[in-house]
Amino acid sequence: MPLFPKFLQFSRPITARWVRGVANEGNFRRARSLISRPLRLIYWLPLGLGFTQYFYTVKTIRGRSMQPTLNPDTSGWDDIVVFDRYAIHSGEPIGKGDIVALRDPIDSRKMIVKRIIAVAGDVIKTLPPYPDAEVVVPEGHVWVEGDEPFRTLDSNKFGPVPLALLDSKLTYIIWPLDRIGPLRPPVPPVSKRGDPRDSRWYSDIAAFEREQRRQSRVTTHSTTLSQQNTANLV
Amino acid sequence: MAGPSMLPTLDNSGELVIESILPHRLFPNRLARGELITLISPVNPSRIICKRVIGLPGDIVCVDPTGLKAPSTEHVVIPKGHIWIAGDNAAWSMDSRDYGPVSMALVRGRIAARIYPFNRFTVFSRAATYIDQ
Repeated sequence: MPLFPKFLQFSRPITARWVRGVANEGNFRRARSLISRPLRLIYWLPLGLGFTQYFYTVKTIRGRSMQPTLNPDTSGWDDIVVFDRYAIHSGEPIGKGDIVALRDPIDSRKMIVKRIIAVAGDVIKTLPPYPDAEVVVPEGHVWVEGDEPFRTLDSNKFGPVPLALLDSKLTYIIWPLDRIGPLRPPVPPVSKRGDPRDSRWYSDIAAFEREQRRQSRVTTHSTTLSQQNTANLV
Repeated sequence: MAGPSMLPTLDNSGELVIESILPHRLFPNRLARGELITLISPVNPSRIICKRVIGLPGDIVCVDPTGLKAPSTEHVVIPKGHIWIAGDNAAWSMDSRDYGPVSMALVRGRIAARIYPFNRFTVFSRAATYIDQ
């Protein structure tokens, strides 16, 4: 397997100090310098494609349906994020509260990024324009919603989404730099007495309150789980 | 390809069929009514199922003319981007009568031909005969 540092050496004239030592390796290196760049690209392309299809990929988020978690109005750039494809392919149970990219059920060429609110078996109180007031999410489906309820095309429009349409899970934000880092679950920030409350603290509290409001519309199917949820909210 | 839901077109015991996937990837909206398609099951994402397309987006479909799973007068308008699928063996098929219209994004391809058993070799065509009253 050729290593990249060896490739970089070809742009400099091969001095005696590098060639001396192994007699046939000099011929080999000169022959390899004739391999053109397109061929080297084709050599590495399947590995790169396989990596982005099955492991991680970087994408830009467009649109306002996940504000203020992604693409908030305070930032002048679209968010660039890392999606994890392996989490979906490996068959792990899908977590509630994850942000996922899925194929739009109405227009299969588009990908939409939404948050999973309820999984199979849960009862969710829907928002307009959904015709029914309460929905039991059927087996093998999930209910997704955007964080910005007024500007989103989500399950309140097209109903529960089959799991096969889920494509990848959002794990890391890499741009803009002030929100760089793994996607943080909305937990209330702990602060000691006397700590100044900065804008980050306020936005964490607001995110936690939004998450509480979202989860208040969901009843999990198992009674023991729902009792644990109410205990944590107190 | 095994399972009783497509009798008598496809046998219950294993059969070898050719599934053509590339034309659907290139032209995802060219589905014809009456076509045999393969799709990922809406209730179990690790299973691939084979059914027949009955309705395209915008059609009004009678949910179950036999009255087994829904009153035979119940009709549904298929939303945009979804299709109505049904197995040929209505008595033993879990299809759109159970889970409603399925999204076209779940469709993988169509069954082009059956190649085994050799004495039952058939090429499945896309043409359907419409009976108008």
